[in-house]
Amino acid sequence: MGLLSIIRKIKKKEKEMRILMVGLDNSGKTTIVLKMNGEDTSVISPTLGFNIKTISYQKYTLNIWDVGGQKTIRSYWRNYFEQTDGLVWVVDSSDLRRLDDCKMELDNLLKEERLAGSSLLILANKQDIQGALTPDEIGKVLNLETMDKSRHWKIVGCSAYTGEGLLEGFDWLVQDIASRIYMLD
Amino acid sequence: MEDDDPIHGGSAIDQALQKKHHDMLERLSARHQTRKSDSPDSSSSSSSFESTSSFLARFADSKRFIESRIGELRLGSSSEDPSNIKSGLAEISSAIENLEKLVAANSYFLPSYEVRSSLKAVSDLKQSLDILSGELVPKKKFSFKSKSSSTKPESKLPEIHKPDFVSPLKVPVRDSPGFRNKHGETLVKSFRGSSIGEFTLSDLDSCEVKLTGTVNALFLHRLKNCKVYTGPVIGSVLIDDVEDCVLVLASHQIRIHCARKSDFYLRVRSRPIIEDSNGVRFAPYCLDYEGIEQDLKTAGLEEETKSWANVDDFLWLRAVQSPNWSVLPEEERLSPVSLSGDS
Ligand SMILES: Nc1nc2c(ncn2[C@@H]2O[C@H](COP(=O)(O)OP(=O)(O)OP(=O)(O)O)[C@@H](O)[C@H]2O)c(=O)[nH]1
Ligand SMILES: [Mg+2]
Repeated sequence: MGLLSIIRKIKKKEKEMRILMVGLDNSGKTTIVLKMNGEDTSVISPTLGFNIKTISYQKYTLNIWDVGGQKTIRSYWRNYFEQTDGLVWVVDSSDLRRLDDCKMELDNLLKEERLAGSSLLILANKQDIQGALTPDEIGKVLNLETMDKSRHWKIVGCSAYTGEGLLEGFDWLVQDIASRIYMLD
Repeated sequence: MEDDDPIHGGSAIDQALQKKHHDMLERLSARHQTRKSDSPDSSSSSSSFESTSSFLARFADSKRFIESRIGELRLGSSSEDPSNIKSGLAEISSAIENLEKLVAANSYFLPSYEVRSSLKAVSDLKQSLDILSGELVPKKKFSFKSKSSSTKPESKLPEIHKPDFVSPLKVPVRDSPGFRNKHGETLVKSFRGSSIGEFTLSDLDSCEVKLTGTVNALFLHRLKNCKVYTGPVIGSVLIDDVEDCVLVLASHQIRIHCARKSDFYLRVRSRPIIEDSNGVRFAPYCLDYEGIEQDLKTAGLEEETKSWANVDDFLWLRAVQSPNWSVLPEEERLSPVSLSGDS
């Protein structure tokens, strides 16, 4: 057994989960993380690099990596793939013009071997905006039905402003990871 | 340090070297431990620092330690037995991860230049480790499957092409409300009393656009030689591809991509950012229309925080001022623009 299994063992003890948040710039990743952590979301700058938040969630510790989505920074995403238990892909449901960009980046990400074992939560964010696409519509645009059968995934509509949908999404993600990592000893 | 030849055979020498190497690792790690316990605020790997300089000192320290560990492992590798190599790699990998956490935990207060250069340094370390593990771990069937896949240092994204790579969007996506494909017109819209959430201006040439009232999100795409005046946007303004424009905007966030020779008059809460842009100049918001005070309040933008001048250029990696943007000299600024009567 190699490096990953060693690290996995350590993690197991600490009931730690590593969550990677990615998505196009402006999709609302940082706002979501701060909202989940009960912090003020009124002044958030575009993420230049990345942030990490450690959040206790149920009986687990989530290490949430929030990586900037600006074009310049996307090439750094791959630095964060290692040991990712859960992948959160955030979509700005009101940004109709860039949906094909969004699909292309997600498709590329899912081809990444190092992310093959991670659970995928897609957050169709900004549902509070009038005219935003519904999670169903986003799911169709992203062609989620054709996803690899071995992938655990779910799409949930949410709003980082109202908080609606966030718990539903993260509950699923944490349960799914837990059932893969911690229950299978 | 050691003058061992990394490529050599002979099991007796191996034994001796291995011992020596092992001892050195012990020493190094002991030194690292004491250093860690010496500094009061390093009890947790993700501790926050009060000042940039204490962060930088700690960062440089850990970085040097990791680099020397990578060097040691490479030098001694031919004599190590595989399980030592693996635990060595694992140790370095977790040291890098801690370093990364350190940067991440401090990135809220660090100046953007420091965040960027730390980010780059961590990414370089990861790359060295990837290369090292590629060199050290033989491509056997079972071990390091995921590691060996990441040993190509320069490849950006995986180059696997599935047939469905650019499958066309299956769902006809509806257009959002907006002004599109106009030339030489004056376009006026009031959001007051409407339920419009997002609004788009796209493919406009030589137009004057006046938007009053508040809206949740605003998208500007392909504008040439236009003047755009808008009331406060509650969420963000996303700008892509503008040239020779004057834009007067208020919003929580303003993101500018591919702008050329344009002036931005902004009221903004966070740092405005530019990417792939040049010849852009910034000044404070200067719009007036009946009811704007109330709209600014609704959007939480009644206060001028002077953030309009804190521009971040995502493509500019150095500590000195980016050549791509500047503050618009006062004598060249527009006098306050009033839209009264229009809306
Ligand atoms: N209306 C609305 N606006 C939102 C929501 N979530 C985020 N926003 C706004 O969208 C803009 C972008 O949010 P961020 O959290 O900075 O986006 P990000 O994905 O972290 O962006 P990068 O760091 O550049 O990758 C901000 O102006 C937010 O206020 C939401 O649920 N509803
Ligand atoms: Mg962000």
